[in-house]
Amino acid sequence: MRKERALDAGTPLERQSKSQGQVVWEQFRKHKAAMIGGGILIAMYLSAMFAGFLAPYDLNEYRRFPVTAFQPPVKIHWFHPETGRLTRPFIYEYSAERDPVTRQRVYIENRDGERYPIRFFVHRPDATYKVLGLFSSDLHLFGVDEPARLFLWGTNNLGKDVFSRVLYGGQVSLTIGILAVWVSLLLGLLLGGLAGFYGGRVDDFIMRLVEVFAAIPGLFLLIVLASLLRDPRNPVAQAFGLQMTSAQLFLMVVIVLGFVGWGGLARVIRGLILSIREFEYAQAAKALGASESRILWRHLLPATASYVIVQLTLDIPGFILAETGLSFIGLGPSEVDTASWGLLLRDATARGISIQFVPWLLIPGIPIFLAVLSWNLVGDGLRDAFDPKKRR
Amino acid sequence: MLPFIIRRFFHLIPTFIGSTLLAFIISQLVPGDFLSQKALEPNVRPETIERLRERFGLNQAWYVQYFRWMGNIAQGDLGLSFDSNQPVINLIARPIRNSMYLVILSIVMLWAVAIPLGVYSAVRQYSLGDQLVSAVSYFGLAIPNFFFAQVLILAIFLLRGYTGEWFGFNKLLLPVAQMTSTNHLNLSPIRQFLDIFWHMLMPAFVVATSGIAGFTRVLRGQMLEHLGSDFIRTARAKGLGKRSVTYKHALRPAIIPFVAGIGGLLPALIGGAGLVEIVVSWPGITPTFLEAIRQQDIYVVLGLLVISSLLLMVGNLISDLLLAVVDPRIRYG
Repeated sequence: MRKERALDAGTPLERQSKSQGQVVWEQFRKHKAAMIGGGILIAMYLSAMFAGFLAPYDLNEYRRFPVTAFQPPVKIHWFHPETGRLTRPFIYEYSAERDPVTRQRVYIENRDGERYPIRFFVHRPDATYKVLGLFSSDLHLFGVDEPARLFLWGTNNLGKDVFSRVLYGGQVSLTIGILAVWVSLLLGLLLGGLAGFYGGRVDDFIMRLVEVFAAIPGLFLLIVLASLLRDPRNPVAQAFGLQMTSAQLFLMVVIVLGFVGWGGLARVIRGLILSIREFEYAQAAKALGASESRILWRHLLPATASYVIVQLTLDIPGFILAETGLSFIGLGPSEVDTASWGLLLRDATARGISIQFVPWLLIPGIPIFLAVLSWNLVGDGLRDAFDPKKRR
Repeated sequence: MLPFIIRRFFHLIPTFIGSTLLAFIISQLVPGDFLSQKALEPNVRPETIERLRERFGLNQAWYVQYFRWMGNIAQGDLGLSFDSNQPVINLIARPIRNSMYLVILSIVMLWAVAIPLGVYSAVRQYSLGDQLVSAVSYFGLAIPNFFFAQVLILAIFLLRGYTGEWFGFNKLLLPVAQMTSTNHLNLSPIRQFLDIFWHMLMPAFVVATSGIAGFTRVLRGQMLEHLGSDFIRTARAKGLGKRSVTYKHALRPAIIPFVAGIGGLLPALIGGAGLVEIVVSWPGITPTFLEAIRQQDIYVVLGLLVISSLLLMVGNLISDLLLAVVDPRIRYG
């Protein structure tokens, strides 16, 4: 490192021309945990984007007969049953039977029956999907022939494939945090910026508003607003004559989350603006006759950018947790044609279910955990990368 | 000091009015009300609905209703529940108490676990233990409460296979649902207390996890900052023992923000206990709140909102006061 610098010294201009983005990226790359987190996030977002392709089944696909409800994850065999040699992975068909003692339904692998090899790049017209809402396709990465079913992570009470549902659930749970952060950013920047810039009465009023919002426990405010907006007769829906579709419900939840979360950001931005306002360059801009909005938008708010980027990254996991929590109590986006990881976890708490018999229903919690963890790691990495004191 | 307290107290009043107004307006935005649901029942006569509407004042403008409601609150009356026709206070007192039990235990756990961990990982910075603590605390921050509770329930069930012989046949290590055993009412008071305590252990731990994780990380940072400062070097130079330097000189200033945070913890943890209460069927605030929302029992919803936001504000006040007491640098003139 030092050697390179010495060599570079001959061309100081080139060295100085590193933008802040480049410096931050260099620092960020040295943060191993943050890079791992970033890698996990990229993988998760890609898998949500191509959920239809990766998932062997459709989100709501299930069949009535033969029954598949609460089927445990299938066992994948790698060795040929007779020769004992490594072979292409295959599964057996399962049949549901009643345990003679407990009357519980148990699934038994039909080992004498046909073997169903796992095929790659299969077409299943039953499960067509759209990638990014553009291309329609029925190609799936893998699958098995009917009547066997490839339930990698088991099935829920209706016999729907948990693995496919987790992939589709990511589309909701992963995007909602990012969108909600934009709502809270907009409100936070606007109100925090105004409060810090104008001070006085405006400041008093906005800060009081923040206090009022902060005085109601976040969870309860979320529950009230979410249940209000889920009602098809709610005022917003009526004002615009909406028939709440699941996309609109999704947006509603985004807005509610952002609406509940903007206070902290506004408070901090106000504090930053208050101090930056007194800096020489801001004073100079004022003395030069720059308009108020120009000073605010061109000089003050950009100075808060590094802080805001970090804060937003660290806010996203909070929103993800809030959304999964809301979905968990049944107040998230609709359950009809979308899923969310929180909603999938709700399956495990339904009446009359004991977790010890259906432990695979807890699997959707793992991606929540991973996503939140990774966003936290990335946020911490960014914070260190932006902080000149922590340069390495 | 006294003028400071009084000033802070009066500062709360507009916030309180604002938050109740906000809650009330939101509750009024809900389309229809409890009575319009009731009117759909075939055996309820329209006159009955009209009479009830009159009685609850639902036929008046919203601001009239708001002032009536606030007036009653000022007299300690939270109104009547539509659903059960009882005073709201009777309905919500018990859930609030139950949530309090849970929260208090989890605060105790929080402090008992987080302080030693934070101090340890600061004193042994970069050691294996420190890295382990920091890895586990990332884990604690990232796992959703309700999911963690579900996982622990599963773990307790699975453990039954191994611990069955120690605890007698078919007994669980810890109870996984409800607040009391079925024979609770037949127990002596001490056994009743132990029974509840036994039921609280798992959910309280779950509620405490994210707090423990966050607390440990911040305490570690604070300790490191103070351990590197001049007064610690002076203390070491004087020949003070390691224990005295760590606990008397470094921990004391490092703990200041947390002492101040006590007040904020109480209401924050009630909100945080929320989804865990649902998972373990704890008869606390959150299940009651959800049920009231489902029934459109507006005064119960509002009552819970008012009480919890009061707790929140009082908690914040207490933490401000504690901060002023503990930290001599803060002047409260």
